[in-house]
Amino acid sequence: MVKDELNLLVDKLNLQVKSFQEGFEVLSQARNLKDLAKHFSHILRGNLLTLNVNIFYFEADGSNWSELYIHDEKSFDFFKHFEKKTVPEICFLDDECFKVAITLPLIDKSFFGLIVGGKIDKKDYSEIDKISIQIFMQLLGNAYQAFVNQKKEKELVFSLNNRVLQLNSLIDTGIELSSIQNTDSLLELALQRSVVLTNASAGGVFIEADSIELQQLTFPPGLDKEYLENSDNKLRTNFELLGKDYTFILVEKESRQGVVEFDDTDEILLGAFARQLQSAIENEHLHKEALEKENIKKELSVAAEIQKKIIPDSLPKIEGYKIAGINIPSKEVGGDYYDCLELNDGRFALIMADVAGKGVPASLLVSTLNASLNAYLDLQVPLEQLAMKINSIIYNASPSNKFITFFISILDPSTGELDIVNAGHNPSLLLRKDNTLKKIDAGGVAFGMFDMGLPFAGEKLVMERDERLLLFTDGIPEAMNHLEEEYSDERLDDFFCRNRPESAQKFVNDLVEDVKKHTGATPQSDDITALYLIRN
Amino acid sequence: MISDFNLISEIKNNSLVMATEGYINNNGGQKITEEFYDKKNDDINKVILNLEKTKVVNSIGISFLIEIIEKLNESGGKLVFTNLDPSIDKTFTIMGLFHFAKKADSIEEALTME
Repeated sequence: MVKDELNLLVDKLNLQVKSFQEGFEVLSQARNLKDLAKHFSHILRGNLLTLNVNIFYFEADGSNWSELYIHDEKSFDFFKHFEKKTVPEICFLDDECFKVAITLPLIDKSFFGLIVGGKIDKKDYSEIDKISIQIFMQLLGNAYQAFVNQKKEKELVFSLNNRVLQLNSLIDTGIELSSIQNTDSLLELALQRSVVLTNASAGGVFIEADSIELQQLTFPPGLDKEYLENSDNKLRTNFELLGKDYTFILVEKESRQGVVEFDDTDEILLGAFARQLQSAIENEHLHKEALEKENIKKELSVAAEIQKKIIPDSLPKIEGYKIAGINIPSKEVGGDYYDCLELNDGRFALIMADVAGKGVPASLLVSTLNASLNAYLDLQVPLEQLAMKINSIIYNASPSNKFITFFISILDPSTGELDIVNAGHNPSLLLRKDNTLKKIDAGGVAFGMFDMGLPFAGEKLVMERDERLLLFTDGIPEAMNHLEEEYSDERLDDFFCRNRPESAQKFVNDLVEDVKKHTGATPQSDDITALYLIRN
Repeated sequence: MISDFNLISEIKNNSLVMATEGYINNNGGQKITEEFYDKKNDDINKVILNLEKTKVVNSIGISFLIEIIEKLNESGGKLVFTNLDPSIDKTFTIMGLFHFAKKADSIEEALTME
């Protein structure tokens, strides 16, 4: 008999152990507290065969008990008089309806409270029941701990994912910023990302130069700077670039519990976004500069092409004369022009001109001059009138700071007669048979300076046999060496007088060589242009 | 807190369809969950969130969306996001939302999803 009772007790205990295991499994799958309470209530009722199990909860830092799972509505009024204890307390009661009252302190300083009704068979709770209740309370505490851990694990996963998102967004933003060429879009992207990733509810970026506000952008749009500045909860950073101050302000860091303080990570993130923006703006600036340089390079290339087409490849042959010319442009395209045009009456126009300035504008003016000369020279207009006409054309075609110094001499090859007009150009040089040097300074102002009908005084000379004429631009006398000493008019006069080779081309070549001997390795700063004529 | 958020909703074929406009932050997230709790009933087991006019979501906004996903999962329902901006798509992927919610290109596609 004793053996049978013992076997029954062992079976019952085995069943209880199994029930505890299964119970824990069920409880640990609870999705929320109410779920947990509901499952526990079922487990306890099933094991103790009680009429009801009512479960309450007192939140850590809370002020009241709340119902989690109730079988008997009266239980809450009954239970709320019980005090919370720091240790689990199981009280067996004498009450007609409720037989057990339990308070269970939990791991996070919250509490479960339980009111358990009588047994279905109306018997008192046995000693085994009492031990079972203690074990089930331990089970409930452990299940709650698992529930809290699971919640913490979820929060940790969320927080880790958020960190990955922040890092990923920082990398993405860097890539996106580097592909945007527009400052407004750069600011918008950097601001938006810094607001979102720091959980700020708003933000702005403000650009100033010398304390004058140049631009402002906010997210969401339309906020006042004052509103952001006056916020008690803000994070700011700034940087200076290309003479401008950029200030970022983020306000009201959000949380599910309300506004919280920005932390160190937010400061690092905002700093990183600001640095990315700074770098992107700097790159954009450098990119624009490079484009401008490229445009200038293209412009100069076009100018060089125009000039190349206008400067003659070869000069016409003049019976009884030898002629040679040269044009060596400096690195920057200049505006020198020379030519020798045969007119329809057998005369020749010897032309030398220099446009103030360089590049495309200078080339276009040279082109205009060239076209005007080609159009008017054959009309046999007196040279002084021709000069006035061309001056008017150049004046109307050129901006105020552009003008052309111009020298023209119409040569009648049969007589050696030279009909000359010099519009503000260097005096050309004529070397007489008797070795005297004549500087041809016949005058007028440069083309394009005034259009007031000012007359151009011409000069007529005769070039005798064995006499020589040199037309040139200021690139020759003003060519400088490394000491910034000019080649000079004196040295040019001297060279012109002392060198009288048979060949006009040799003179030109020797002159260029002499100029280069003077300048040495110093880069050429202006065009070198000369036209040399020998009457046989 | 500052917000430029708007929300409209309707019931279509036993699905709650909500369309957002603006920044989904704490305020936006709260409005979405309030609308969800207000309109969700036993007949509705699918919630469609049309984010066509939303370009940014912060992590507080995401925590509200996770709350809705968990509530729906408890009752065997599901959340479907539609018209996602690529940056939001990437954000949700990194935050793991698509383990428990679905996405569709359009509301029509979301309505026919099993």
